[in-house]
Amino acid sequence: MRWLPALLSFALPFGALAAKKSPSVDRFQEFHTKAVASSPIKLADNSYKKLTSAPRDHSVAVLLTALDARYGCQLCGEFQPEWDVLGKSWVRGDKKGESRIIFGTLDFADGRDTFLSLGLQTAPVLLLFQPTTGPHAVPAADPIRYDFTSGPQSAETVYAWIARHLPDRPHPPIYRPVNYVGWVVTIVSVLGIAGALFKLSPWILPVLQNRNVWAGLSLIGILLFTSGHMFNQIRKVPYVSGNGKGGITYFAGGFQSQFGLETQIVAFIYGLLSFAAISLAIKAPRTRDTKLQQIMVIGWGLVMVITYSFLMSIFRIKNGGYPFKLPPFM
Amino acid sequence: MKFLVSFLVLVFAAVAQAISSSGSRLLVILEDVAEKAGYSKFLADLEGRGFDIAYETPKSESLSLFHLGERSYDHILFLPTKSKGLGPNLTPNILLQFINANGNILLTLSSSTATPSSIVSLLLELDIYLPADRQGLVVDHFNYDALSASEKHDVLLLQPPGALRAGVKDFFSDASVIAFPNGMGQTLGEGALLAPVLRAPATGYSYNPKEQTETVDDLFASGSQLSLVSTMQARNSARFTVVGSADMLSDKWFDAKVKKVGEKDTVKTGNQEFAKAISGWAFKETGVLRVNWVEHHLNEEGAGNASNPKIYRIKNDVTYSISLSEYSWDKYIPFTVPESDDLQLEFSMLSAFHRLKLNPTISSADSTTYSSSFKLPDQHGIFNFMVNYKRPFFTNVVEKNTVSVRHFAHDEWPRSFAISGAWPWLAGIGATVTGWLAFCTVWLYSAPAATRESKKTR
Amino acid sequence: MAVATDASSAPMELLVSVGKNQSTKTLLRVLILCFIAAAAVASRLFSVIRFESIIHEFDPWFNFRATKYLVAHGFYDFWNWFDDRTWHPLGRVTGGTLYPGLMVTSGAIYHALRALTVPVDIRNICVLLAPAFSGLTAFAAYLLTNEMTTSSSAGLLAAAFMGITPGYISRSVAGSYDNEAIAIFLLVYTFYLWIKALKVGSVMWGALCALFYGYMVASWGGYAFITCLIPLHAFVLVCMGRFSNRLYVAYNTWYALGTLASMQIPFVGFAPVSTSEHMPALGIFGFLQLVAFLEYVRSAVPSRQFQTFLYVGLGGVFGVALLGLVGLTTGGYIAPWSGRFYSLWDTSYAKIHIPIIASVSEHQPTAWPAFFFDLNMLIWLFPAGVYMCFQKLEDEHVFVIVYALFGSYFAGVMVRLMLTLTPVVCVAAAIAASQLLDTYLVYKSPVAPEAKEEEVTDGTAKKSKQSALRSTSQPVVGIYTLISKGFIAGAMTLFLLIFVQHCTWVTSNAYSSPSVVLASRMPDGSQHIIDDYREAYQWLRQNTKEDAKIMSWWDYGYQIGGMADRPTLVDNNTWNNTHIATVGKAMSSREEVSYPIMRQHEVDYVLVVFGGLLGYSGDDINKFLWMVRIAEGIWPDEVKERDYFTPRGEYRVDSEASETMKNSLMYKMSYYNYCSLFPPGQAQDRVRGVRLPDQGPVLNTLEEAYTSENWIIRIYKVKDLDNVGRDHALAASFDRGNKKKKAGKKRGPRVLRAE
Repeated sequence: MRWLPALLSFALPFGALAAKKSPSVDRFQEFHTKAVASSPIKLADNSYKKLTSAPRDHSVAVLLTALDARYGCQLCGEFQPEWDVLGKSWVRGDKKGESRIIFGTLDFADGRDTFLSLGLQTAPVLLLFQPTTGPHAVPAADPIRYDFTSGPQSAETVYAWIARHLPDRPHPPIYRPVNYVGWVVTIVSVLGIAGALFKLSPWILPVLQNRNVWAGLSLIGILLFTSGHMFNQIRKVPYVSGNGKGGITYFAGGFQSQFGLETQIVAFIYGLLSFAAISLAIKAPRTRDTKLQQIMVIGWGLVMVITYSFLMSIFRIKNGGYPFKLPPFM
Repeated sequence: MKFLVSFLVLVFAAVAQAISSSGSRLLVILEDVAEKAGYSKFLADLEGRGFDIAYETPKSESLSLFHLGERSYDHILFLPTKSKGLGPNLTPNILLQFINANGNILLTLSSSTATPSSIVSLLLELDIYLPADRQGLVVDHFNYDALSASEKHDVLLLQPPGALRAGVKDFFSDASVIAFPNGMGQTLGEGALLAPVLRAPATGYSYNPKEQTETVDDLFASGSQLSLVSTMQARNSARFTVVGSADMLSDKWFDAKVKKVGEKDTVKTGNQEFAKAISGWAFKETGVLRVNWVEHHLNEEGAGNASNPKIYRIKNDVTYSISLSEYSWDKYIPFTVPESDDLQLEFSMLSAFHRLKLNPTISSADSTTYSSSFKLPDQHGIFNFMVNYKRPFFTNVVEKNTVSVRHFAHDEWPRSFAISGAWPWLAGIGATVTGWLAFCTVWLYSAPAATRESKKTR
Repeated sequence: MAVATDASSAPMELLVSVGKNQSTKTLLRVLILCFIAAAAVASRLFSVIRFESIIHEFDPWFNFRATKYLVAHGFYDFWNWFDDRTWHPLGRVTGGTLYPGLMVTSGAIYHALRALTVPVDIRNICVLLAPAFSGLTAFAAYLLTNEMTTSSSAGLLAAAFMGITPGYISRSVAGSYDNEAIAIFLLVYTFYLWIKALKVGSVMWGALCALFYGYMVASWGGYAFITCLIPLHAFVLVCMGRFSNRLYVAYNTWYALGTLASMQIPFVGFAPVSTSEHMPALGIFGFLQLVAFLEYVRSAVPSRQFQTFLYVGLGGVFGVALLGLVGLTTGGYIAPWSGRFYSLWDTSYAKIHIPIIASVSEHQPTAWPAFFFDLNMLIWLFPAGVYMCFQKLEDEHVFVIVYALFGSYFAGVMVRLMLTLTPVVCVAAAIAASQLLDTYLVYKSPVAPEAKEEEVTDGTAKKSKQSALRSTSQPVVGIYTLISKGFIAGAMTLFLLIFVQHCTWVTSNAYSSPSVVLASRMPDGSQHIIDDYREAYQWLRQNTKEDAKIMSWWDYGYQIGGMADRPTLVDNNTWNNTHIATVGKAMSSREEVSYPIMRQHEVDYVLVVFGGLLGYSGDDINKFLWMVRIAEGIWPDEVKERDYFTPRGEYRVDSEASETMKNSLMYKMSYYNYCSLFPPGQAQDRVRGVRLPDQGPVLNTLEEAYTSENWIIRIYKVKDLDNVGRDHALAASFDRGNKKKKAGKKRGPRVLRAE
């Protein structure tokens, strides 16, 4: 709220000026004609002041943004197209300006002073100025602020917000232009890929029909999922985290948390164990040579026992009260 | 069940006849028991109406409004007292308890004696306001009594008040001209529970005789905003009545001759009638409504007319009836809704789905039955039959009967063959079945062909 | 313990008894299966022994109530049940919005026992239903596994695993009377019948499969898993060029009859032909007709090109059908994925759009310890088993592989779906373990040279070399030395023993507490039962009117309905988001806002759960943000989540808490009179671990009615309107004894009465 006095302090004289110079009706008309040409209007400092100065009998929705790559405002870039869609479709549905609202965009590059006067540290900020006079006037002259706390917004959500604040006025629906080029590109590419596959089929088919490939793929998938990969996807957990004293902790304490690396270790352990089982059950009995088979069995058996005991020791880290342990990792 | 209850109520009514509908124990609080001589006619009038009156002074230790948590009196009449406070037995909380326990209070003020502080704070709780520092005199330089108050102009002569507004029954207008000697006016808050009975004429105003002798700068209230006799009826229908002038109940003014300024003839005051009306109302002798019974039932042919079922089905036709009586002085009479007013039934879940006028159907010696028939909405849920009839000067009628409205049961829909739209599909089913059977038979009897096939292959 | 010896020794016994006559084997199997079932039941009885024969946490209480209604009023009243004691005042068409399978099952058992003149309380049937069915599940797992492998021991191992693995026990201990209790058995058994039908290609097995599928649909919402998995299996088979008349017969029988059966459940209704979850089944149905037609044409028409043309055409038709489905869905003719189901694919969907779903703890993703916790060694035997399914890749093995992939994906996304993964894990792990044991528990050692031929003949790789697994290219020889046999056998036995120990430990420690009753340890180690819930519900039952409406957060709706038998506003069947949001708004707003809402909904009592005194973390203050979010979803202008945080963005309840937080009804109800427990300045919240201000909140529109022994449950009575028309704040201050100032003067511009 600290930008409010600043806003009023400069808004008032301009308002008086504007009121003196020209009744705000044709001020709205003037801007609306611009808007019909291209909405949302690109504003600069003075046009912003002129547009939003009180008294005004129209609503103004201004997006204060910083599109220039220097400021590295990712959110601005994501929201800008949505904002343009909203502004365009609104004006498109309301050519005669019955809803008496102007959509404007003020980029930091053009409106540095405004940003300073509003004391804005962050962008984007969406301000909705309600009319101070006329039929839709509201008592509070200061604009309503839309917060982007919950990530990038879609045009629909902002549309709903604005529509909520403009009762008993027409709310032209959002209209998204169909992206024909995209369709064409996708169709062509799909056909191309299909053709390529058809041509390459003599080389691809054996791979597709190879049972080992499928076995490998499905094992990998199973190991991924059973080692909590989806949890990482959804919760966006860190890969590793450092413990207090410079080193890194591989295993997150607690039953309901894990690190990215941790899951990979676990997946590897699972894979090792099941591979040991596989080779013991399938490979070993198929080896002719007695000695070789002996070594193989003992080796894989040791691998199985040791890895399993290691797995248990890891699990004891996660779950303190876990009583069972195997040598050697007691 | 309800009938039984109402019957019992009737019996009680019969026993309790000839007195107020809510008991006859009246307590009169006055400064000195000897003072009651001044109001002998009024009190005799009350006794004649069946009240047994107890007299107490605020200071007396024996005075207590509650005995073992039960009211020990049904009504209280406050006559003016000199003392500043009313002592420990009549604190505002106790008086409010008395009201919450459904006791009625008739309070009389006087400009000559300062109102006790506990009364003032009680009035504040009820949103009734007295002039500053409990001093105020109502005067009117155009409607005063030329005989008694020719220079002080503090005896107002008022016409009967008439109905508060259209559609409200008028209880207080059977008097001729009413004399209102040196009284104190009140102003009322916005509460819907408050209703003025007697209001000052447009030219009447209240001033402080102690300070504002020469000039009245800060006016407390004037005109119709200045209420001389006002009432408050709590949600539990306990009644609290403020009479601005105690003197108007005194013998002196019951049979006084008055002559309005600017008029030739002197007339007798109608104070006695007015006192009867106001006290009768205050002590629940008039304007008391009673719900004898409430009944609702299915209104469809073929349906058993069980009374007050707990559950209905959507789109049922139902009938709702309520029987009301009004107590007037000594007996219950059929209650008739004042013209330009309606008794309404709401069928509501969260909000009203139906709001219907209840029409009188049966009228007996002491009750009228209002009823209405309608079709339940197409929405299942837990609904209320709601009669919420709250009018000034009538006790509140709030009757809420909860019923569940269920959905269609699985066998209450029309059968498929009854719906013409379903016939094509039924035909399709038939066709499929017959086709299948035909196919089976053909298949079974075409076995030799199969063997020929096999030969051919061989 | 018994299980372990049975399970691990079963193959040994069998191998020893090789050569003995068949009947001994059969007898042994029956005996072992009985032991397994007994162990499965026994290991689920911890909760009954520890606590008592009581229904567990939340949903079971509704199922229990519904079952009692069914038993009391008969089937048709249950079918048309309109429940006017929940979701007041909307009511709930309960008969049409639940899965009746569970209740009908226990009702049938009840009446059967009555017919046998065995007088038994319905509650005991409900409590013990899940263990009883776990025995059946073990048997079903046995059957399913026997379809997969020739090894006679695999089935028994699978049964043992299925019987005692915590992943399944978690939902089927005695007293957790939930749909899953019978649904898992039906799931496994339906799959068994499907495999059977597919292998035999007979209409009878297909019809049986459809029958049990119908039973499954009647029992659990998770039937969609079957509805999607079987078509997927069929599709994969067709893509592998394994279309056969057996598949055609089995699938069509199952789909036609099963769909008809499923549409008989009112809650499902026309979903099978109108929602996306069921579209795969429908599409594959049509697809199979096409394929069958083409197969016929192919057999009739010799020309090679024509066949390729046909296959291209087939692919084209399939693609067009897919596009048409997408079009219809976007056009709104087919309902898109329902929220719960959709959130399985787009994992961030629920958090944004459906806070109610996101707020449920069992809809959270699964961290890896949960897998190990629930499945122990099976989790790594599982991939091995899947790999072995690739050896001789019959149709049923394809099923296991597909099931394994999708089951593990779903289990990774949602904790509760661990349940659907467990059966396939048991089956696969059993295949792996049995192959290990069969290999290493053979007593006679092979002699290298003449071992070859007969081994080769029954060698597993019958397929052509390039499509077979590399590892199975050589013929099986066998294990030579006794050391290796002993070593591996010993290791496996050890693992199996540990597995049994693990399962017992997990079951007794994690899954056997009925969250109705909390158990805590005294300093001297003895067990102390905290019974506040039932204490409070009993108070409600005994001290309030029969139809007193209780407002609480939806978690406790079922318990209030079941234990206190009082109408509630919202409960765990979250069918009406707006109604829940209304309660959320009432809880999270100021008294002046909440009171009209509570009046409108005829609320008599408000119940809150407060763990501050005991350090019970699952209380309403910790759930409060969800109430705020859900309310904000409906009233974005009146409830704002941000207002409940301090300017620095912390969620605090102490003196630093934001004004909105302090004025919210929930905060007031939780901390009302709380500081009076402590010496001044010592008031402390043991959950949030903060010190509370000495000046507790003031309640005007509610009065404290009851607080349980450990303050876990606090019940407040909603005051009536003031008798003389004051607002509650004024009335309360007057009762506290401070007189109202003479407002007549300082009311500023005087309000004139209209009349």
